[in-house]
Amino acid sequence: MKAQPEKRSTSGSAQVSARTGDAELLRAVAAGSEPAFAELRSRYRPAVGRVCAGVGVSEREDCEQEVFARVWRKAALFDPARGSAAAWLLTLARRTVLNLQASRRRTPPPTNDEPEPDPVDPAEVEAFWLEAALERLSERERAVIELAYVRDLSEQAIASRLRVPLGSVKSWKRRGLNRLASMLGEESP
Amino acid sequence: MRHEDAWTRLPDLLDDRDDPALLAHVQICADCQRQLFLLARIDRLLRDRTAALGSRHPRMRLRSRPVLAAAAAIVAALAALLALAASQPAPAHALTFHTGSGEAVGQAVMGHSDARNVSVALSAQHLPIGRGKVFVLWAGDNARSSMQVGHFMVDQNGGCRVRFNLPADHTWGHFWITRPGAPSAIIART
Repeated sequence: MKAQPEKRSTSGSAQVSARTGDAELLRAVAAGSEPAFAELRSRYRPAVGRVCAGVGVSEREDCEQEVFARVWRKAALFDPARGSAAAWLLTLARRTVLNLQASRRRTPPPTNDEPEPDPVDPAEVEAFWLEAALERLSERERAVIELAYVRDLSEQAIASRLRVPLGSVKSWKRRGLNRLASMLGEESP
Repeated sequence: MRHEDAWTRLPDLLDDRDDPALLAHVQICADCQRQLFLLARIDRLLRDRTAALGSRHPRMRLRSRPVLAAAAAIVAALAALLALAASQPAPAHALTFHTGSGEAVGQAVMGHSDARNVSVALSAQHLPIGRGKVFVLWAGDNARSSMQVGHFMVDQNGGCRVRFNLPADHTWGHFWITRPGAPSAIIART
C-alpha cells in the first residue's frame, strides 16, 4: 500500500522547502498541499520508521504508510497551541503502532485513535524531531555531522574519508550545526 | 570580531576550542548567546542519539572527547541570565572553593537534575580577573577520574552564578577552577 494522498477539493498551493517549519507544513497539508505532504513525509520518514520498528520487520513498511496516510487525513486536527508538530506526529505514529499490534493480536484497538496533545516523553519528542531536522540539512552537512558524532571522527579524519579539503569539512559542520540550532529555536519540540 | 564571523564560528565552541575573541563577542551579543544555548542543546541531542544508536549497534564507537564542554561555554555566556535560586531543588550538599591562600571564593551546590544528570550550581565571588574573565570548572569523582565541566565568565568583581549538568553515573566529590589552557594552574578548589 502506498500512502498517496487522496485528491481534495483544495489542491493547496503553499510554497514549501527545507526551510519551511513543521507546523507550517502540517497546516499546508491540512489545506490539501501535496508538496507540503511530500516534504513532511521525506523529513519524518526515518523517524517514523524507527517508531514503526516496534511492529516487526514484515509490517514496518505498512506501518509507515499507514502513519502518513493518517497524517494526510488528520492534519487539520493538529493544534500548535497544544504541542509541537513533532509531538503530534510521534503520538500519531505511536498510536498507529498500537493499533497495528492490537489488530495482529485480534484484540479491539483503542477506541480513540486521535492523537492526544503531549502524552510522550519530551526527550523522545526531541529525538524524534532531531531525526527529521537532520533530513533538512544538505547531504554534505548531514554526512559530516553523522561522521563527527556517530563515528566519532575528527574533522581531519572526515576530510580524509570524504576526500575533501579540511576547510570544507569545517564549513559544512559549522553550517549544519548552526542550521539545526536555528531550527530548534524556530520550533522547539 | 564581526558578528557574522562569530555566528559562523559558534559551533567551534562545542569542540572545546578556546577562542578569546569569539568568547568576548559572545559575552556582549545576546543573539550569539541564544544561538550558543541552542547549539548546546543540539550537541546534547546528537550525543544522546549516538548513545541510542550505540545501544542498538554495539560496535558503533561512542565519542570520548570531554563532555559538556559545549554546554559549559554556553552557560558561561549566559551566566548573567541564569537565576539559580528559582529552580534549585533541595541540594544534596554544598562545597566551598578556596584559593591557595585559604580565601573562600565560591561555592558549588550539588542537586538533582534528571535521571541522567546531576546539577552543580556554581556561585563565585572575587575570582582574580587580572588575566581575563574566563575560567574553567573541573570535576573529580571518587575513582580519581576527572572531567572538564566547562567554561564560565565572571563579572568585573570576579563573581558569577552559573549552573551545569554532570553525568549522574559518577560520584562527583570535588571541584576546581583553572584558567583556559592552563589545567594544572589551579586557582581555587573545594
